[in-house]
Amino acid sequence: MTGLLVAKQILMTLYSKYEVYITPLLKFLLALISLLLINSRIGYMDSIDKMTVVLIVALMCSFMPMNFILLMAAIFIMLHLYAFNLECTIVLGAGFLLMFLVYLRFSPKDTLVVLLMPICFLLRIPYVIPLAMGLIGTPVSAISIACGVIVYYMLHFVTQNVSVILAMADEERTARFKFVVDGLLHNRDMVITIAAFAVTVILVYFIRRLSIDYAWTIAMVAGAVVNITVLLVGDLMFDTHVALLEVVLGNALSLLLAVVLQFFVFNVDYSRTEKVQFEDDEYYYYVKAVPKIVVSKPEKKVKQINSQKAKTAPRSRTTH
Amino acid sequence: MLNEERIILMTKMASYEANEGKKNVAIGSYFRGDYIGWQVLKSIISATIAFVVVFGVYIYYDFETFMTDIYKMDLIEFARHILSMYLWTVGIYAVIAYVVYMIRYMRAMKSLKLYYLNLRKLSGMYKQ
Repeated sequence: MTGLLVAKQILMTLYSKYEVYITPLLKFLLALISLLLINSRIGYMDSIDKMTVVLIVALMCSFMPMNFILLMAAIFIMLHLYAFNLECTIVLGAGFLLMFLVYLRFSPKDTLVVLLMPICFLLRIPYVIPLAMGLIGTPVSAISIACGVIVYYMLHFVTQNVSVILAMADEERTARFKFVVDGLLHNRDMVITIAAFAVTVILVYFIRRLSIDYAWTIAMVAGAVVNITVLLVGDLMFDTHVALLEVVLGNALSLLLAVVLQFFVFNVDYSRTEKVQFEDDEYYYYVKAVPKIVVSKPEKKVKQINSQKAKTAPRSRTTH
Repeated sequence: MLNEERIILMTKMASYEANEGKKNVAIGSYFRGDYIGWQVLKSIISATIAFVVVFGVYIYYDFETFMTDIYKMDLIEFARHILSMYLWTVGIYAVIAYVVYMIRYMRAMKSLKLYYLNLRKLSGMYKQ
């Protein structure tokens, strides 16, 4: 444990020392991964489905605010869909526009969640986002998570129904548009997932704020259990064909990642909890103080074994 | 002679000015009514665009039915219905925006008050 704490301390020191380089690098990597995933899933426009274009855009993103990455990802998606089908472009464009206009202008910081959500879905660990946002965010984060889920399911619907959409003739534009809108609005999987994630975020947030020992750990476990339960209840009620093993394993892995997050954000020693009580003119105070686990970085001591020789050597030279 | 307390205070204030403070100073340059009014106006414009987008999608979704029914339907009643929906949507959104930006303004002012307090403290240190 001490080794891990020392490693954490070293990582934090390194980050604060090289923050100027690390932050743009992380932004670059996030943009690169997002754009490569978009190209690999819906790479219909050849002119932007190139490594050079992706690298240039990712490089631009590394020096811009975080929102710029989401904007570029949205533009990439729209361009690819435009090359594929106009109706899909209109529907997804309307979705993105509503998201930017109605919600993201209130909380621009949450754009990262919208971006990470589809990536985590592809990695089969979307459950980590509601757990993490419940731990470090607020219940309002449920809206940004919902936006991320909608973006994923919009793209998922298009990739799953490529042949059906292409099979419809050009004269059936309205029917095609109707098919895409219906596919999104009547997507039960999406609705159940949004509900499960919203319940998880709110539950995790309220439990982790309780004044009980191991509140964060209890919140994470409760969140994962409730997440699985809501998804399974949704499956029973609406027949959404949830893969039980995948959900359980995904939640277990997400729980592990949440533990890592807790280690970096909220690492306290409950065994040294102090409860103090005092008063002033206006209030009685019942204070519970939980100390953080902090270890100092071990300092390197350089012992000079040949120091005596170094001192004596010149003197011996002078005697000759 | 270096004054450690002064340097710590200056560092904290510089960090505040560079990060959170930048936004708060911008908010603080407005009067309460002006700031909230401007933000609510922007929200109303956003909500109007969003409503137009949703209405456009709704019309295009049932375009054929809409075109066949357009000669039969009472257009004034239809327009009145759409207008009332628009007013409800924009009204609710404007109220939410008002509450959000009022809280944001109050928080910013509270934070700036602390900043100006520190500024006076720093000024006092120089006079000592």
